Amino acid sequence: MKLFENPIFLTQKRLVHRGGVLAAVIIAALIGFSLLAGLVSYLADPRDFHFASPQETGKTFYGWTMGVEILVLVIGGFSRIARTLADDRKAGLWDSNRLTPLHPAQIVAGYWFGPALREFYMAAVLAGFGLVIVLSGRLPLTLWLGTQILIASTALFFGLLAILAGMAFQRTQGLLIFLGFLFAYPFSFIAPSRLLTNFLLPIYGMANLFQTEPANFGNDWSRRPEIFGLPIFPILLSLGLQLVIGIFVWRALVRKTTNPFQPLLLRWEAVTLFSILIVSQHALLWDLWRGNFPNTPGIGQPPYDRESLLAVVHGGTIILGIMLLAFASPAPERVRVEALRLGFKNLDAVFSRSAVSLALALGGIAGAAMFTHFMFALAGSGQTFLVTAINLAEIFLVFALLLEFCRLRHKRRALGFVALWLFVVGVIPFILAGVFGSEAFIRFSLLTPGFFALGDRNNEEWSLLAYTLLAHFGIIVLLFIGWRRQWQRLLEKAH
Amino acid sequence: MSGPALAIEHLRVDFPEVVAVNDLTLALDAGDVCGLIGPNGAGKTTTMRAISGLQEFTCGSVRVGGHELAHEPDELKKRLGFMPDFCPTYDQLTTSEFLEHFARAFEVPNRAQRIEECLTLTWLTDKRDSLCEELSRGMKQRLVLAKTLLPDPQVLLLDEPASGLDPLGRIELRKILLQLHEAGKTVLISSHILTELSGFCNKAAIMERGKLVKFGTLAELGQQMGRRRMSVKWRGDETRARQILSAHGAVKNLEAAGQGAAFDFTGEPDALDELLKTLVVQGVRVCEWRGLGDDLEQIFLQSGAKELM
Repeated sequence: MKLFENPIFLTQKRLVHRGGVLAAVIIAALIGFSLLAGLVSYLADPRDFHFASPQETGKTFYGWTMGVEILVLVIGGFSRIARTLADDRKAGLWDSNRLTPLHPAQIVAGYWFGPALREFYMAAVLAGFGLVIVLSGRLPLTLWLGTQILIASTALFFGLLAILAGMAFQRTQGLLIFLGFLFAYPFSFIAPSRLLTNFLLPIYGMANLFQTEPANFGNDWSRRPEIFGLPIFPILLSLGLQLVIGIFVWRALVRKTTNPFQPLLLRWEAVTLFSILIVSQHALLWDLWRGNFPNTPGIGQPPYDRESLLAVVHGGTIILGIMLLAFASPAPERVRVEALRLGFKNLDAVFSRSAVSLALALGGIAGAAMFTHFMFALAGSGQTFLVTAINLAEIFLVFALLLEFCRLRHKRRALGFVALWLFVVGVIPFILAGVFGSEAFIRFSLLTPGFFALGDRNNEEWSLLAYTLLAHFGIIVLLFIGWRRQWQRLLEKAH
Repeated sequence: MSGPALAIEHLRVDFPEVVAVNDLTLALDAGDVCGLIGPNGAGKTTTMRAISGLQEFTCGSVRVGGHELAHEPDELKKRLGFMPDFCPTYDQLTTSEFLEHFARAFEVPNRAQRIEECLTLTWLTDKRDSLCEELSRGMKQRLVLAKTLLPDPQVLLLDEPASGLDPLGRIELRKILLQLHEAGKTVLISSHILTELSGFCNKAAIMERGKLVKFGTLAELGQQMGRRRMSVKWRGDETRARQILSAHGAVKNLEAAGQGAAFDFTGEPDALDELLKTLVVQGVRVCEWRGLGDDLEQIFLQSGAKELM
């Protein structure tokens, strides 16, 4: 079925048009016209302005146009789609549509393109004015084309995420998570060409298109990023990343539409997605050390602290791993029902379904990806690698065990208890360090050994870090015993 | 179509801490109208959601017209209409636009004509251009019923269709349901108000705590409980008829008034036929003889399910 025959799309279109689109389009046109008028007045009398050239002026005015376009299409569109879906779910319309012979993919597509049509019209008007501004400012057409492709792909990508948010959360929760994500984003500007997040949102790709200086190592926004040393167009990297993640999100959406009781991510999907993202991230860092961490291969000094970059990536890996574990962790009730259906009673069957085995897999993948920076320098940096990799695996394991243990034991209150225990093992040591004025406490946090190992390689406290890892392993053993007991109870109840 | 129109076998739905539907088996033939009765939390809505595919079930099977939900969900969707106990509508669409949305989704042939037919059937033709948000609760209920009827499904699941309706709305709904019954649709209907179901249900399924306590035709259920409520009317002398009835050993709770009586019959069906024959042979001019199959409340109360919703 074509999009223009898709009943969900047609109904959403009807609803958008009923709400009125003319005023929104006129507002967009007025904004576009104001910016164009600004450019024209500069071109008419350049002395009244402080721009170096018409091109610079064109870039500034086009940048503003683009900014409004992104605000309207990406952020406004996300909010609109997530809200529409959350409302339709609450009203029971989502289920009504699911009961029709429409394929789940058609339902998802209808919500993907329908609710944000008003924002699309506004963006189209702004893009038109943007084109006139680019031509008037004598800027290359590739600037307009490249940025518009990236805006469109990002809007589509965020549209999928909005459906996910609308499916999983209430209307305000989805928006809050989205805004929280945006506020956390500036951290990725530490090393623009090195951090994957700058390509996932095509910030680097767009900024790169605006750069006129020749590429050099000092200006990180103008160089081409490299995957294991091979230069790649930033726009292609962005499109590729959005496509790959978009495919996984699309699969999750179709699966959840078919059967809302299915997990958001299948285990192999979580492993594949994590592998792609983590390996790509480490590939972007490859040429900084070329396997000889921390020795540099004489490539000059980049405009950021190269030493801390691996620690930043380590932090990002922790966040990504925890997110994927949370998404792929099965609801205990689902495993119980499966145990009833398939008649299994042993813990092996639970283990293969649980997020604990997945945590081990993610820890292994993260360790392998990080190993690329250490593989030729194990004699000197082997300890750093080992501490960091083991710490990562321990964090993933603690989280997976804790999540399932709390879900089994505390049921609806599980999230609160997970947060509490993570606070105890991760944050309390920082508070103790503040109270007693001793940094030593910080080292006992579950989160810190990897950062210490990466950040202070000359420290004399390897044995202390090793003991800390051992203590964390003790926590894992205790959690595993509790986790096992809870599952046994559940399986006994199932039969 | 061979076999039952709706066949449910060993259906089980698990919720955390509770088995919402436990080993439910029932079969309805084409034209059957079955009342699904049970106290709050008995599992009626969960059963309907499981049959429609909205609720995942642990084990068991659901077949509609021979098509199994697990293997041919799309075929099942074409043959089954589910009306939930609330009214999901797009408030900013008119009623005809709302129906058009679902007519497209079901790929209904002759859309405009079918929409008109459904609007007529549910007495909403004069509300064709009204926005859904402007409709009263009863009208919305009828609109959702119209939407359910659009693809002309063979099997209808109606979850509390009368809830929230005023007396007039209930009368209108009752008329529509009677029409469906006459049209030979298989209907599984749950309702708080048992008298709503009385006039047109030929079967009843009584649920309690997720289990099917009783299932069968109303007559069968009455017999299972050891009695069947009967009504008789005659012309002429009333004493003769009363004497015959009160003298019969299987007649209990006789309530005679004027030229008519109602009683519980505790004997076999053949004995009931014999009783009628006796009345006629003895010269009683019987002008009405019918089983009060609509005595759903009695059946329900005697089934063991105590807490009426």
